[in-house]
Amino acid sequence: MSLTSLVPLIGISDVVIGLSLGSRLFLIAVGLSLIFGVLGVLNFAHGGFYMLGAYVTLAVVSNVIDNFWIAAVVGALAVGIVGAVIEFSAIRRLYDRVDSDLDQLIVTFGFVLVIHETVRFIWGSGSYSIDPPDVFNFSVTFGGSTFNAYRLVVIGLAVAVLIGLWLFITRTYFGSLVRGTSSDREMAAMLGVDVPRLYTGVFFLGSVLAGLGGALSAPLQSTSPALGDQVIIDAFIVVVIGGLGSMSGAFVGAMLIGMMQSLGPQFISAGSIAIPFLAMVIVLLIRPEGLFGGIGE
Amino acid sequence: METEIGDDENKEKQTGETPTSSASQSPIGRRRFLQATGAGTAVALAGCSGGGGDSGPVTLGAAYILSGFASLYGEEAERGIEFAQSRINDNGGIDGREVDVIVRDTEASGDTAIQQIRSLVQEDNVDGLFGLDSSGVAQAVAPQISQLQVPFMITHAATPFVTSPQGEHEDSVGNEYVFRDSNSLAQDVYGAARVAEELDATEWATIGPDYAFGYETWDYFQAYCDGLGVEAEFTAEQFPALATSDYTPFISSILDADPDAVLTPLWGADLTTFIGQAEDAGWFDQIDHTLFSVGMGTDYPSDGSPLPEGEYASTRYDPFVPDSETNNSFREAYYEEYGTLPTYNAEGAYRALYLYKDAIESAGSTEASALVDEFTGMEHSGPVGEYQFSETNQATVASVWGTVTYDDEWESNVLDPVNRYEAGPDVLSEALGDSDLPTGI
Repeated sequence: MSLTSLVPLIGISDVVIGLSLGSRLFLIAVGLSLIFGVLGVLNFAHGGFYMLGAYVTLAVVSNVIDNFWIAAVVGALAVGIVGAVIEFSAIRRLYDRVDSDLDQLIVTFGFVLVIHETVRFIWGSGSYSIDPPDVFNFSVTFGGSTFNAYRLVVIGLAVAVLIGLWLFITRTYFGSLVRGTSSDREMAAMLGVDVPRLYTGVFFLGSVLAGLGGALSAPLQSTSPALGDQVIIDAFIVVVIGGLGSMSGAFVGAMLIGMMQSLGPQFISAGSIAIPFLAMVIVLLIRPEGLFGGIGE
Repeated sequence: METEIGDDENKEKQTGETPTSSASQSPIGRRRFLQATGAGTAVALAGCSGGGGDSGPVTLGAAYILSGFASLYGEEAERGIEFAQSRINDNGGIDGREVDVIVRDTEASGDTAIQQIRSLVQEDNVDGLFGLDSSGVAQAVAPQISQLQVPFMITHAATPFVTSPQGEHEDSVGNEYVFRDSNSLAQDVYGAARVAEELDATEWATIGPDYAFGYETWDYFQAYCDGLGVEAEFTAEQFPALATSDYTPFISSILDADPDAVLTPLWGADLTTFIGQAEDAGWFDQIDHTLFSVGMGTDYPSDGSPLPEGEYASTRYDPFVPDSETNNSFREAYYEEYGTLPTYNAEGAYRALYLYKDAIESAGSTEASALVDEFTGMEHSGPVGEYQFSETNQATVASVWGTVTYDDEWESNVLDPVNRYEAGPDVLSEALGDSDLPTGI
């Protein structure tokens, strides 16, 4: 580990790259946070969902239809269905257990392994990559530094998802049920809310978002079975920094971590991977509930 | 009273006999015992015929990366093994004995590799070992080999410290059982410095994997440039973790430093990922020269981004150089069989089988100590050319660097023009100058 230069040169491209990394993280972290906020489940398999989204998208683009956007939607929905099935068949059985937190961790971790090995079985252990959709597959040069225009699309979509989710949670009937159930599950059930179905719905939505993150990231990274493990750690850090259960927290946390990942290498040549962990430690020490702590914000 | 005493004696006798009689009365216990004995005998017999005896097949154990980001190296090695094995067995085997090879997956992990190798030696009773793709793995394995006392022919992993005798440097783990038939990082990077000598580039940077191999490549390159008097400044370095899926922040950081040339030892799927993302970032327009030190090993078998034409790459074996009968016929036959040019990993594994064949036939035995004696200082030749094992058990093969050029005839990238830099002990020692880095040869 040594200093690359005393005065790092931070270009526009570094910022764009950081925000696009943050956008990818946001899509995973917001689903993770949503599921935790409403269901109280810390879903370890969320990184696996992200990876699965990337794989399904790659498979659809290369085997079924050569249209990235359709493939991305298929990828996201396929992951949503996988998530809903997992919630319906396994996680649902754990809610009423006395010490359900540990059981949930073990069960979702079991699914991490199942997804990982299934992906390896189907697609092998090598890595795949695809080009961004043609319309956006060009380089933008800004002040001497270059980035792919598709990164701007990913950033835009992440912002759109944030706004869409916010409107959905605060302005729709289903959103009010979600908020009500997350603050008092028993009261909601007594008032006639079909809590089990709502839980499956929220798990589906969270999984779709993770799948979408994977799908949109497929052109920006190599997709291999290791992907899920790498990303879930970052997503946990984002959620801890932003505050468990907070959407805006997930967004701000994700962008912070994205920028750290992008600018870190400017300052140290190796080990910049540790910077987000340091940030997490600091947040936990100073503001343990996270920057935007609280459910349903 | 007497009767009573007699009864007591009888009782004592009975109790004394109890364990034996109950064992003989219990059919389950006896059956289990017999089964265990039978299985034990079978294992012992299998052990004899597998390794210890001088009849039956010669069994060799190999360990390569068969899964994960660098699985393509293991797949290539398996081809080389299969190719050599069928050639040897079709032509009288080794001293009339068939050769069997058991290939295990190291998963690019030192711990896994050690487990696999121990199992090959202790359960499969192999006569000899070869393989290894990763420097980190080789570094972990070498001391174990000296404990297991079975010869190990490394065919790819490049760290100089496994052919640098223990004690020469703090990281040195070389010992009498470990040999290498492919060129080492010290030989390969010497060629990189010779290329740098010729290039119009003064500011140099590196992007390599975040473990010993990445750092050693950069250390040796700087030492050689210094020793050879190359005018070079070393302005930026990046060491992303292995199996990074997104290199853009690291690429961006190097581009911001704007060096004239970059030496990169990225390898496997990491290299493919890097090239695709570097192209997107305008790397090859901005950086005048990129030197890929593990380039050709990844280029042939990879489905992804090929090495860009006009850049420099090295190989541990070139299918066209030397232009010898052995090399040409190997290349042609291999191409006919697999439809691709042989990579250095295929050639290294292929040659390991022939090294064992020659050593076993010359020694007339598969005893480990006899094989070690044969390999020590052995002169040998194969597709890679003629070479000898040095005092430190390193093959004196050349460093091969060239310009990446697409060849229509072979439908593949090749190195053209290509240079062979002789990289024997004296050459490396002189080029390293005042550095305390070992030559590993």
